[in-house]
Amino acid sequence: MKLRLLYFLFFTPICLFSQVTFVKDTIQLQGDSVVVTATRSERKLSNVTVPVTIINSKSIQQIGALRLTDILKEQPGLTMTSGFGAGVQLQGLNPDYTIILINGEPLVGRTAGVLDLNRIALGNIKKIEIVKGPSSSLYGSEAMAGVINIITDGTTKIPLQASIRYGTYKTIDAGVNQAVSSKSIFYQGYYNYYSTDGYSIRPSSASRVTTPIHRFASNQQFKYNLSSSTNIQVGVRFTNEQIKNDISVTNGGTTIHSNGEEKNTDYNISSTLNHRFSNFLKTSFRSYVTQYNSTQNLLTISGAPYIDVLDHLFNRIENQTDWIVNKKLTAIIGGGTVMEGVKSSRYDSEKVRKTNANQYAFSQWEWMPNTKFIFIGGVRFDHNQTYASAWSPKVSMLYKINKQHKVRLSIGEGFKAPDFRQLYLDFTNAAAGAYSVFGTAQAQKVIGQLNTLGQIGTLYNNYYQLKALQPEYATGANLSWEFEPNAKNFLSVQLFRNDIRNLIEVQQVGAYITGAQIYSYLNIGRAFTTGLEIEAKRQISNTFSISAAYQYLETGDKDQIAQIKSGIVYTRDANGLSRRLNLSEYVGLPNNSKHKAQLKFNYSNQNGLFGNLRALYRSKWAVNNTNGNEVYDNGDSFAKGYIALHFALGKDYVNGFGLQVGCDNILNYIDAIHLPNLPGRTFFTTLKYQIPQKHKL
Amino acid sequence: MRQILKPFLLLFTLSSILISCTKDETTIELPVTAITVSNLPADTVLGINPTTGMPTSAGKYTFFSLERNEVVSNTDSASTKWDLAFASTKILINGGTSGTAMGGAFIYTGLFDDVKTISNDSVFKTDNAPASYAITYGSGKGWYVYDQLTSLITPLAGRVLVIRTASGKYAKLEVINYYKGGVTLPITASDSDKLSKQRYYTFRYTYQPNGSKSF
Repeated sequence: MKLRLLYFLFFTPICLFSQVTFVKDTIQLQGDSVVVTATRSERKLSNVTVPVTIINSKSIQQIGALRLTDILKEQPGLTMTSGFGAGVQLQGLNPDYTIILINGEPLVGRTAGVLDLNRIALGNIKKIEIVKGPSSSLYGSEAMAGVINIITDGTTKIPLQASIRYGTYKTIDAGVNQAVSSKSIFYQGYYNYYSTDGYSIRPSSASRVTTPIHRFASNQQFKYNLSSSTNIQVGVRFTNEQIKNDISVTNGGTTIHSNGEEKNTDYNISSTLNHRFSNFLKTSFRSYVTQYNSTQNLLTISGAPYIDVLDHLFNRIENQTDWIVNKKLTAIIGGGTVMEGVKSSRYDSEKVRKTNANQYAFSQWEWMPNTKFIFIGGVRFDHNQTYASAWSPKVSMLYKINKQHKVRLSIGEGFKAPDFRQLYLDFTNAAAGAYSVFGTAQAQKVIGQLNTLGQIGTLYNNYYQLKALQPEYATGANLSWEFEPNAKNFLSVQLFRNDIRNLIEVQQVGAYITGAQIYSYLNIGRAFTTGLEIEAKRQISNTFSISAAYQYLETGDKDQIAQIKSGIVYTRDANGLSRRLNLSEYVGLPNNSKHKAQLKFNYSNQNGLFGNLRALYRSKWAVNNTNGNEVYDNGDSFAKGYIALHFALGKDYVNGFGLQVGCDNILNYIDAIHLPNLPGRTFFTTLKYQIPQKHKL
Repeated sequence: MRQILKPFLLLFTLSSILISCTKDETTIELPVTAITVSNLPADTVLGINPTTGMPTSAGKYTFFSLERNEVVSNTDSASTKWDLAFASTKILINGGTSGTAMGGAFIYTGLFDDVKTISNDSVFKTDNAPASYAITYGSGKGWYVYDQLTSLITPLAGRVLVIRTASGKYAKLEVINYYKGGVTLPITASDSDKLSKQRYYTFRYTYQPNGSKSF
């Protein structure tokens, strides 16, 4: 075996790494940039078999985006959600189902499944890669709707850059970035400070939708080249934020103030040892530690303190080996182990960290029979300590019909592991009817104990069905066609379908003798999302370009559709009398808009002047099941569709200075209830300086 | 179309009555009809308790007779004159812990018109305060849902209250609306409107006076 390997190492004549050539950003619309997220290895965008979107640092800067939310909300097919921080919805799937990576390593610290994307500052980001469709075959849990990978700038020499921005609501953002390197050592440091006074868009309320916040983030990267074939990289990221909560409740003419503070800290340390055995074989060992701690200290009306703590610690050791088997075949083989734990005041004891261990192995094979076809097949196996194991296969292909037309097809499995809350939650709401929610890891034990104490009134059938939770699964298919007649025009049409099964849902499993409900989690739901995405870009002149995108989305809960078909779902007619609901009145899953569209105008000239105007449209979406029939239909509450219009204008001067002004939400669209994260019209000014370089990049 | 059909329908109804007359000469069954009751107050809100923030009211039930389609005086609360008693979202039957008569009820999931006959295996529950009520109350548990976000109460579609009256006769009832004027307030309505205009029942019911379980 070893000999055979050596044979490949030394005698396979063609170096396939030469395929992978780094291409600098050109003025071409689809500059053939390098993608790492799609295959866990560097590939040209034109050779990738799955749908990928790349956002480069230039477009981040030109729209004046500060946080990850700012840029993602302007991407076709992505929708921001606003419960528990700003999450992202991809292909109609909730934020729980998209994994967020920084340089390939996952971010943790989700509240109710949502990772607040405002945590991530964009100052030293080189690019953001978005892979749509299930990608668990490479990334495991959470990569069910897709992957968002934030790649920090690893450019070896960055002259000192500094920027400061001031905007509406006393929003300040200041950043410093620099990279220095010698032959063998590279260092990059980035520091960011952000603060805002927050804002209130509810007229009768003194409490602020976005509360006053101070954030400090720092990012350090070290790279040490031991030799030309071996290097060591260490990246440290630290974010600290303080949020001041002032909650005022006015009731019957009396206003009661309560206040408190929320502190979130978050660090990530990643170390990588890369070694290249030959041009055909390289390996990397990665170790990653991250911890997210969120502590909420509130003084309630009665003066009693209320403390809510969430602490998530995640450790991972991983190896990935890339092997070029021959001219037509390349392979990736990898595996690793994860140890993670969560402490929360909503579990039985906040002192004890609930843990889970996970071992996994994955492999991916890429076959290029000729210049027109690329086939990729991969599979990953995740073995877990606290819930059922998961297999995630995926196949994908690319067919280059000719220079202008490309077709991509991918079918894969995605999964999302049950999260700690679903396993360990031990929560009794004393205020609202004393209901309880127990995670499945201990539901039967805890409820059994309560039963022996004579506190349980009834146990439902599904109590006896409680068992180790299984992951939620999705099968996703993506088919896309790309047409690029020349360097100035681009059109793509993409169809997608995701079938989700085993969805974990909260279910009442019994009741106390007082009648108060007891809930736990069961794998019961089935749903689908399907739709169409169209993107078009056109370079009108050397300076002026225009881009447009549209997404059509259909979603639905399969069990609810079955219930509607069998005639057991009701609604009311114009006279208020009950009648059966028609399937045509069903609107699918909440928070999903059927239509989304965007239109962007972009100007940028040789003298450093740039400007853009972006219009983003989202059609109405169901928010609340007002009529109580448990399905979302035309008789329920909807948030109105709206258009957000943004504008930015700037100039970069030869002497290193840059100036930018902008206005977000020009139309001043406000929907305090359904869009708390959208303030009214805001303005900003940014001043930046970069030590001029002798030669331009 | 409807215009043309009408005489035929009439003819059909008449002929069926005639046929039934020939078959059974002792009784002529008149079809029972649905009656709509609008704006029945049910312990309406008087104000707000400044310390608890909870709405205040007189705490009195509105007693109603389905047989006579009228409100029964509170002084008759201990009698068999009433069939249902309403106070906010709570509906009592005249039986069990709530009354001395033969009242009972259960909630049927389905359409009002689908309740043609009460099957013999249906179980009528009686009130057993405070643990349980024949007509279960609480959001999503019986005949309505309460939305915490909008503070509005919506009667669930497809819920029929099947009632055994004080005198042991049967009726079916559908709650149509909970707000004054029979229209649920828009979510943007003021808090004071949401309080002062709630607890006004609009419902329709069919009462079968002959004691049978068919409507």
